[in-house]
This record gives sequence, C-alpha cells and structure tokens, in this order.
Amino acid sequence: MFRVPCLRRAFGAALLLLTAGCMEYGPTAEEDFSAVGARGLFVVNEGNFNGGNASLTYYDPATCEAAQEVFRRANGMLLGDTAQSMTVHEGTGWIVVNNSGAIYAIDLETFRVKGRIEGLTSPRYIHFLSDDKAYVTQLWDRRICIVDPRTFRITGYIDTPQQSGKESTEQMVRIGRYVYTNCWSYNNRILVIDTETDTVCDTIEVGVQPTSLVVDRHGMLWTATDGGYEGNPAGHEAAAIYRIDPERRTAERMWEFPGDRRCSELQTDGTGDALYFIMEDIWRVPVDAQRFPVRPLIEAQGTLYYGLTVDPVTSEIYVADAIDYQQQGVVRRYSADGVAVDEFRAGIIPGAFCWKPL
Amino acid sequence: MKRLILPLATLLLAASAAAAPDDPVRTVSIREVSVSALRRPMKQIGIQRTEIDTAVLHESISLSMADILSHNSTVFIKQYGRGTEATASFRGTAPEHTQVLWNGMRITSPVMGMTDFSMIPAHFVDEAELLHGTSSLQAAGGGLGGAITLATRPLDTRGPALQYTQGIGSFTTFDEYLRFTYGGRRWQTSTRFSCSTSRNDYRYRNYDKKIFLYDDEHRVTGSYYPVERNRNGEWRDLHLLQEFYFRTRGGDRWSLNAWYLDSKRGLPATTVSYRDDDRIVNEGRERTLRSVAGWERTRTAGRLAAKAGYIYSRTAYDFRNDRGDGTTADMMHVRNRVHTLFADLAGEYRPGERWYFTAAATAHQHFVRSIDHSVVSVGNTPAIGYDKGRIELSLTATARWRPVDRFGLAFTLREELFGDRWSPAVPALFADWVVSERGSVTFKASVSRNYRFPTLTDLYFRPGGNAELRPEHGFTYDAGVSFAAGRPGSWSLTGEATAFDSYIDDWIIRLPMGGSKSFWQPRNMKRVHSYGVETKASLDVRLAAEWRLALDGTFGWTPSINRSEPLGDNDQSVGKQLVYVPEFSSAVTGRLDWRTWRLTYKWNYYSSRYTMSSNDDTLTGRLTPYLMNDVSLEKRFAPRWADLTLRCAVNNLFDEEYKSVLARPMPGIHFEFFLEIRPRFGRR
Repeated sequence: MFRVPCLRRAFGAALLLLTAGCMEYGPTAEEDFSAVGARGLFVVNEGNFNGGNASLTYYDPATCEAAQEVFRRANGMLLGDTAQSMTVHEGTGWIVVNNSGAIYAIDLETFRVKGRIEGLTSPRYIHFLSDDKAYVTQLWDRRICIVDPRTFRITGYIDTPQQSGKESTEQMVRIGRYVYTNCWSYNNRILVIDTETDTVCDTIEVGVQPTSLVVDRHGMLWTATDGGYEGNPAGHEAAAIYRIDPERRTAERMWEFPGDRRCSELQTDGTGDALYFIMEDIWRVPVDAQRFPVRPLIEAQGTLYYGLTVDPVTSEIYVADAIDYQQQGVVRRYSADGVAVDEFRAGIIPGAFCWKPL
Repeated sequence: MKRLILPLATLLLAASAAAAPDDPVRTVSIREVSVSALRRPMKQIGIQRTEIDTAVLHESISLSMADILSHNSTVFIKQYGRGTEATASFRGTAPEHTQVLWNGMRITSPVMGMTDFSMIPAHFVDEAELLHGTSSLQAAGGGLGGAITLATRPLDTRGPALQYTQGIGSFTTFDEYLRFTYGGRRWQTSTRFSCSTSRNDYRYRNYDKKIFLYDDEHRVTGSYYPVERNRNGEWRDLHLLQEFYFRTRGGDRWSLNAWYLDSKRGLPATTVSYRDDDRIVNEGRERTLRSVAGWERTRTAGRLAAKAGYIYSRTAYDFRNDRGDGTTADMMHVRNRVHTLFADLAGEYRPGERWYFTAAATAHQHFVRSIDHSVVSVGNTPAIGYDKGRIELSLTATARWRPVDRFGLAFTLREELFGDRWSPAVPALFADWVVSERGSVTFKASVSRNYRFPTLTDLYFRPGGNAELRPEHGFTYDAGVSFAAGRPGSWSLTGEATAFDSYIDDWIIRLPMGGSKSFWQPRNMKRVHSYGVETKASLDVRLAAEWRLALDGTFGWTPSINRSEPLGDNDQSVGKQLVYVPEFSSAVTGRLDWRTWRLTYKWNYYSSRYTMSSNDDTLTGRLTPYLMNDVSLEKRFAPRWADLTLRCAVNNLFDEEYKSVLARPMPGIHFEFFLEIRPRFGRR
C-alpha cells in the first residue's frame, strides 16, 4: 500500500501544477497612429456575423503599406460585430457596425474614437445632410434614423412605406433636396426622401432586390439588382442594371443578365463616367454605352469577389476577395486598365471601402 | 502467481465507484472487478470507448451532459456562454460529425445535424458511452468523429424510493430535481422531474468595449472599460422523464421511456452590442417529446430486441425589436417543427464461444417544417425555410470471432439510405490482442470507411439549399493499447492510449451564393485530415483505512488540418488547424473521500483556438489557452428517517476573466449549494 506522506506530497505537487496556470485576458494596449498628409484607403472588414471580429484595415496607396486592426490597436477595444460601411464627413470617419447597433466616429489620422451613436436596430449606411444632421438606413426596421453627428444622438425617424417582412433601406444618394435610397431586402423599390420635411415623398419601382445605388456625371441614378431567388416574395428574375431619371422618377432597365448571374457592388469612378460592378468578374461599362461589353475588365481568379471600390482620383480599382470568409481577406489593386498593381491583406470578409482624402 | 484482478469491463472514472450510484452511504473501498482481459466481452472487440460512470453522471443536478463530457473525455465542447448552446466535437471534427443516440434512437437534430448537450441534464442519463472514430459504426452511421450513446435503466430497488434535491446558486440560479421510483418483483416505474431557472446576469469586465466621457462640446475626454452584466442570458428549463420497465415470467423485458422538455432561453448579447436591451427580444424556445418503447428477449444463444419511438420537437427563435411607437419589427421569427418516427430491430446470435453475430435494421422518418416567418411567404412555399420529409434507413451486420482467448476480430458492414440515395457499403474491421495477461495489456486496432449525408437544411433550405450536395465521407484508422493493474482493496490503475488517423473528403462549408451577399450556400469544398492521440488514465488508491483517492485524467492531441485545394492563390488556410478546434486538451478530476466527506477537484484545459482558418496570430485571431478549476465539498448524513447530502461547489475557483468564444463573456467565480434528501420509507 502507498504511504500517506508520499501521497500527500504528490497530491500537493499535483494541486500546485493544476492551479499554476491562469488565462491570459485583459485590455489591449493602445497604439499611436499618425496618417497625416496622405490619401488613404480604409477597408471595412465585416467579420463573421455574431463573431464580434469586425476590423478596420488602413492602406496607404503611395507606400503600398497596409496596417491591420487599426481601430482596435488605436482604441484598445473591438470595432464590433459585422461592420457594414464607412463614410467620411468633415475630417471624421463614420463606421457603421451593423450587428452592434452602433456607429463610430473616428479621427482619420489617429483612428481614435471621437464618439459613438448607440441604440440603433440594424444600421447599414450613414449619409450626411449637414454637420448636425445625417440619415442612417437600417435592415429589419423600416424607419430611417435621423441623427445629430455633433451630439451622437438619434433625433428622429423617417417612417417608410414598407410592408412587414420587407423592411430595409440601404445606400443613399443625394440630388438636390432629395435623398434616394434603395430597398434591397425582399423589395424592389427606390424611395425618394424630401430632406426638408424628412418624409418619403415618392417611390420608384425597379427590379428585384436593388443592391446598390450610385449617381453618374449626368446626374442619373444607377442601381444593380440581384434578381432574388425562387420563392422570394419580391419575385425572382434575371439580375439587371437600371438607370433612373431622378427628375421624372422613372427607371429603365439597361442590361439584364439571364441565368444565375448576380451583380452587386455598383460603383462609379471619380468623374462618374463609368460604372463598375461585380458579376463573378469585374465589369466596367461607360455610362453612355449602348452595348454591354463582351469581356470583363478583370477576370475572377477562381474565387468570389466580395467588395469593390474605384479610386476617385486615379480610377484605380480595388477588389476584395474574402477567400473562405474565415481568414484575412485579400485586396487586389489594379490600374484603371485592369493591370495588377499591388495586393495586400485585410481582415475577415473585407466588404466595404472608404477613401480618406488629403 | 496471484491471479490479477482486472477492472477491464467497468473501469475508470472510479471516483465514487465504490458506492452504487444511488447508495447514500459511501464505503471507502477500492472497487474490485473480476473480469480478466481474456474474458472481455466479445461485443467490445477492438472498440475504442469511454464509459462514463453513473455516479459521475449523477454527481450534481446542475450539470448538463456538456459539463460531463468536457470534464471526463477528450471531446471538445464549444459553448457560447453559461447556459447556452453547447456542441461536442470528437477528434477535431465538426459537431455535425458526432452522432447522438438516446435509448437507441438518434436524437441529433435533423434540422441542424447536431445536438445541443446543454439541453440534456446529466441526471436524466444513467448510462453514457462514447464511441470514438471507427467504433461509432457499431452504434450509428455518419459519426465521422464519433458517437455518444445515452440510456436510462431501471434502479435495482423494490418498493418506493424518493430523491429530492434542491440547488441554489449564484446569479439567481435555482435547480430542483425530484425522482420517484416504485419497483415490484418484475416491474418498475420511475418519474424524474427537474426544473432549472437562472437570471444568469453575471458581472464581467468588458475589455471589448469602452465607455467614453464627453465634455460640453461632445469631445471625448476619457474612457474606461465598463463592468457589465451578462444581458439577456436568463433561462428556464423543465424536464420530465417517465420510465416503465416490466419483465415477464418468460424473461422478456419491456420498457417505455418518455422525456419531455420545455425550455426558454435568452440569447445573451455579445460584448460588442450597443442595442437598447429593453427594446430587443432575442430568445429561443423548445418543446420536445422523445419517447421509445422497447422489447427484448434474451436466450442463451442470442437476443432479439425491437424498439419503436417518436420525437416531436417544436423550436422557436425570435429576434424582435420594439420600435418604441407601439409596433415591433421581426428580424427573425423562426419556427421549426419536427416529427420523427423511429423503429429498430436488432438480433444477436452466439453459436458458440468463438463466434458472435449481430444485425440491426434502423429507420428514422423525419417530417420537418422550418420557416422564418419574418418574411412573408408566397403561397405554400416558404420564402425562408423548407417543408420536407426524409426516410433514413440503416442496415448493419457484424461478425465477431475469437479464435483464441487472446485474439479477437470483428467485421461490420453498414449501409444507409437517406431519402432516395443509398450510401455505398461502409465496412469496418476491428481487432484486439491481449499482449500480456499480467497487466491486462491489450492492443486494439480498427479501420473503417464512413459517410455522413447532408442535413435537410443543407439540401433544402431556401434560399441557399444545395440539393446537389454529396455526402461527406472518409477513412479512419485507430490503434491503441490499454492496461489495467491493481491490488484488490488497495489500488487500481488503468490506462489507455489511442492513435488515430482520419481523412474526411467533401467536407461541407458555407459560402455566399454566386457572389451575392444576401445568402449563403453549403458546398462540398474541404478535405480534412485529423490525427493524433487520445489518452486516459485512472488511479484509485486506498490511502488509509478511511481515506480514498481517485484520479481520472484525459489528454488529447488532435491536429485537424485543412488539406483542401486552395481557394485561389491567397488561400492561407491549407495546412492549418481548423477554426475553434484546440490542438491539445486535457482534464483531470480528483476525488478524495474520508468517511462521509468528499472533496472533488476538477481541472480542464484547452490549448489556443484559432478564430481564423489561416491561423493568423492577430489580436482577434486567437483565443488564449483555457484553464479552469472547480472544486466541491460534500457531506452525507444518515439520520433514521432519510439520507441527506449537503454539497457546496465553487466554480471558476480562481475567478478567471475569460471568453471561450469571441465576444462571449464567461462568469467569474460562482457558487452552488445543494441539499439532497432520500427518505427511507421504512428501511433502515
């Protein structure tokens, strides 16, 4: 039989071993950044839904250097869950974090937080009307929020005429006193909002599920529809690109894409001369084109592109590849002619871009 | 030579093995098991299994099967917080690769393809067995990682027996458990009821969020990490289990088990949520009835058994926002309704000492209606969801042969039908060899092919369901050695180590469909190679006349590597460990008994888990190693009228701040107190 003193020692040693370890957990150290005097590109990385791992990447096109997780490193906290978009207004970057129900205001040079708007249902995009008024579109909530960017408070709502279960407002474009927004989720309309009365004054019917909205150099609106899917209550049809006359508030289907092709991420260049979008490959179409191009500008490289932006100054094209949606994505940079220039890593699911002006 | 007494058949987890699970008076003695390695059951030839002792299962009424598995096996439990969904993964596979059976009926959800072990109270399980890798084919197909079989069984009692346990814990947690049993000479009935409620609003320091301080000009002047409460994490779980057992004069056994659960659980907010909690409803509800009736006839040369069962499950998930103007917005309004019919016929035949044959035919017929009503459907076709049925038929036959006492061989052939698709024949070969009777050193090896069919959700969910999905399939190779040694009444030591090598092809992952951001589609994309070693050991020692120490430990090394073709030039996930799968895991439980006292110490370890498939060691790319210590002290009293037990448990003994999943906080130190009463009803 074992002797008790021997076992006592063994038991004591085992207990010490078991309790010796402790978990590493605590605050993240804050770092200083200084992106002064240079144009830059923010990459908004969605992260995984409910994963809490959204992040922000900063890329300097001049030096071709990318810094990862700059929000967390600058502020010692997480960006949140499912970052959707970012907008720059008067030297401040506004990052909309969808599944956190919040919008962060950050300094564009230090990336430090300047404020936070909280209590939103499911924010998607923010659009500034003035220094003290902005609209915030939402998914799963038919109301557009009116916020005061100076106080970071919600000051009102715009109720939109949408049926239950088809409630969403998405990207916004302002022409004159009107803001136009596409209703993407299970819907087929563009809403027209009178910014003086903060009410929806008109609707424009387009194809099924308009995903994005831009304005060209002629002041015409363009939207890309994904066409939905079989059983979709909004319908199922071929994806298409529509041109909308904001004066007459009419939509014209310019091109449609039969089969299971889907187009998204409609963008323009800095001058508004051409449209760019993802439809497996990257396509460019002049806004005055009468025919759709035969070949894409950039062919897909065996993967699914997820995000797209065009440099407003150089018309260079940046394409985000989320790869398997569980690792750091890659952003590829191409010249305006579609020649590869550079590529850099971003965060998980790089979905949106935002240009930092000089 | 002294004959070595070998605790082979009912080894391990000897913690309180000296006491029968329902015996209130614990005797301090080492269990002596008189089964030698040469007399090992033929049914277990070459099988890699972990049996969890009933005493461990019934240790505390607050434990779920998730807690039991994490402390007593190498299975990895992924849990999103206290009282939230917990899934089990064998050997670095996905939770969908673990098959779960209750009294022979598969209870893996036909909707999600996995089982939530936090919904299975350990007190409602009398027998739990883990079948690792190839061995899972003895119980079910589709367990690419393994299978877990859970069962109830009658108590060996006559007359009435009652057990009532009440528990009170931190975070306004209350547990109640009542079991009433009445047994006659040939029959027994048992009713178990448990109720668990908790506000579950533990405090934690939120390092993922900062509170900003502003001056009058709305400029940030300072910030701090807030101490927050776990929001929306409350639960209310009710379970009712009715059992009836009857043995005829001819020896036939009949059984009826019906288990009803009614659960309502909040889904806790993440650490990065800034929504207004008062306006958000985010909760899941479940009502499930599982019932199995069985018949069994045992004769000298064989056994015949039949079972029939039915499962009704209705689950709801609501994610709703109160707009503050008298209207609400349904963000998700999911309703799942599942009916499952089950039938099983099994036979065993033993023509002599050397041969043993078994065969079984099992059928599950599912009818599933899964719809998200937040989007209005067009006609009878759900806009989001599906309404489908599927027959799942499994046929298996096994021949076991033991030509000499030291050596055994078993060959299993299984074939399955899912809907209108047959799997190819799935073979498995098992062998064991007693290398040395002294020390009961036994070598085991097995090899098998395996298939897992996609779930109904994978195939038919709208939008994104992919009817073209192929089954996941692969090969698994196991080899291991076990030993057992001891001196009767003094000490016993057992151990086992198993190396495994497994390949899974056509592993299903989800990617956005056609570049659309709006919905995702499952696809056969991955090839995964998992390999490693699983070990377990148990030591049971009588330290002195009234002292006893039991130690049980497990250790697993489970690399689970993505061997797929890269998704483009920049895919850095190839050759990397799968997301949220720890490479190393270990657990040790120690129990020290002295007279009517028991001190239990539990220690649990998982190595780092990567949150990115590329295993990037970024700030959010890795969760640091998990180390947990729990301790409990128990005292039993035996007044004339009843047996009483008082128990105090301290969980997270060192008040660790941690997360087991990104943005999901876990509680610090917390306490539980239990009082158990067993009236004696005239017995002394």
